[in-house]
Amino acid sequence: MAQIELAGKTYEVDEDGFLQELDKWSEEFAQAYAHTEDIEGTLTEEHWKVINYLRNYFQQFGIAPMIRKICKDLGIDMTKLYELFPTGPAKGACKLAGLSKPTGCV
Amino acid sequence: MNRLIKIEDFSSCREQLVEIDPAELIPLPPPYDKIEKPPIRKLTDDQLKRMDASLDGVVAIGLPPPSGPEEEKAFIDKFLAGLAKLFTVENNWTFLQPLVHTLEYCVKCQICSDSCPTYIASGKQEIYRPTMRPEILRRIISKYIKKENSLVRKFKSSDIDLTWQTLARLAELAYRCTLCRRCAQVCPIGCDNALISREIRKIFSQEMGIAPKEIHEKGSVQQLRVGSSTGMTSAALKNILEFVEEEIEEKTGRKIKIPLDKKGADMLIIHNAGEFMAWPENLEAFAIILDAAGVDYTLSSEIAGYDSVNYGVWYDDFQFARVAILQSQVARALGVRKISLGECGHAHKAGIVIADRVLVGDLNIPRESTLPLLEEIVMSGKIKLDPGRNNFPVTLHDPCNMVRLMGIVEPQRRILRKIAPQFREMTPHGVENYCCGGGSGFAITQSTNFPDWRNAVSGRMKFKQILEAFQDVPGPEVKKYVCAPCSNCKGQFRDMFEYYGAWKKSGIMYGGLVELIVNAMVDIEKPFHQWEWH
Repeated sequence: MAQIELAGKTYEVDEDGFLQELDKWSEEFAQAYAHTEDIEGTLTEEHWKVINYLRNYFQQFGIAPMIRKICKDLGIDMTKLYELFPTGPAKGACKLAGLSKPTGCV
Repeated sequence: MNRLIKIEDFSSCREQLVEIDPAELIPLPPPYDKIEKPPIRKLTDDQLKRMDASLDGVVAIGLPPPSGPEEEKAFIDKFLAGLAKLFTVENNWTFLQPLVHTLEYCVKCQICSDSCPTYIASGKQEIYRPTMRPEILRRIISKYIKKENSLVRKFKSSDIDLTWQTLARLAELAYRCTLCRRCAQVCPIGCDNALISREIRKIFSQEMGIAPKEIHEKGSVQQLRVGSSTGMTSAALKNILEFVEEEIEEKTGRKIKIPLDKKGADMLIIHNAGEFMAWPENLEAFAIILDAAGVDYTLSSEIAGYDSVNYGVWYDDFQFARVAILQSQVARALGVRKISLGECGHAHKAGIVIADRVLVGDLNIPRESTLPLLEEIVMSGKIKLDPGRNNFPVTLHDPCNMVRLMGIVEPQRRILRKIAPQFREMTPHGVENYCCGGGSGFAITQSTNFPDWRNAVSGRMKFKQILEAFQDVPGPEVKKYVCAPCSNCKGQFRDMFEYYGAWKKSGIMYGGLVELIVNAMVDIEKPFHQWEWH
């Protein structure tokens, strides 16, 4: 198992950096991890809106929501989503939100 | 690096056997002819300590090295026990006959090598030859199963030393073949070297618990546990269906209730759950067409009833049988007349063809593809279509399992000829098609540097073919559509087009078949297909 050190704490992650122990997630984790996903500086309110949305959906249904649903429910378009998370919603945003890597034919 | 890799090297060579050299890969047309970056990321030192990458520097499985000689011996013994089982009827009720045929009758004429897109695209790397894996297996059988004496083996030049390293490389090598079976198609004596890849995977999975995570643990096992390899539960399915119904209404003004768990419907339609998660427009289009044509169908919310995938068909008979039986039981409980499968290639192979080996008695209910049904609807005149709405270049990708394996060649073509005025074929196509490069689980194998390999090597031939099909309109100003009626192929196209920047550089987009049908429907006001990359 790979490990990553962020802001003085060690986390277990998979080979692509997705958090393995979902209960270890914290806001500090997301903030400290942001730069590896090409996000400069402090996470903005818009970032948090997406991250919190993802976490809520995940808690309710056990999976990440489909991208189109994120856009629709938060009233943002795909371009904006990619501006916020340059490595993409499935990779960057899910990673920061501490969700498992999407699996299956998706 | 040494290009003339011999089988002996699989055991003796301590270094990585092959390094993929970008200059050796078959060239692509401009603007993809320049090598801008190393095509395949190197593993980190830390990863190399934990995972064996000694075949070609790429990792699909990434076995951890053994702790000592005892563990190495146990590993080899387990493999040999599994190998011996492959040749007994009780333990190989799926593929014994073609396995034996291939191992005994192949004369190594190498016609299959020239037909293999991975071997050709790699610049003819010896290790990727379709005859390489069977030959390794033959030698292991000769020495360790049949225990032929050393003189015989010397005479047949079939010696091999079995070490942990040999098997680790063989395990990875079984995941460098997409099981497209182009090799089997051209073999003059009917050998199926792709099947050998599959049977090697089977030994590793069934006997040793070794398989890529995405295919086994997060794939079959997760599907049997929660209902889908995507992790989608029944509750999530219902949430997504609501969303899909809302979207249909917004896009078309139609209020459609998608039938769910409707007892006694004529058919149970099972989609690949990837559509629910990543390509809802495919579900929406299906719902619109079936509603307009008055088809009596239902979806299911039962475990395995809403995800047509059956990854076992790529690597494990037990996982295969479990999923196939569950899907059939779901259909039985609903009292439908038949199962009809949506746009997913391997589900066609698993559910319609191979499931015959396991479904007996009343579980063996009729199973078919939705493609002929769609053709019937399009040709019947039940829905009014205006091909002018699809007036952009379209080419068709043939999913190997539907087309080469099952011979479903024409329905999708007759549909496209009717609704897509700029439809053009790739060369070659139909049963001679090239795999998308994501077959046999590759498209879902997303970890470490494996995606780089499939985009650069196993998908390369297909990417080249696609570019050539659109060579009259190469620029990004003309938007183009690769119609791929298969979730797995779509996943591969999305990743591969992103990898090469094909949407930005060439305006190449991918999508399914039903989306184009709905896009041509006269009484839907707004265009259904959106040129938005996703």
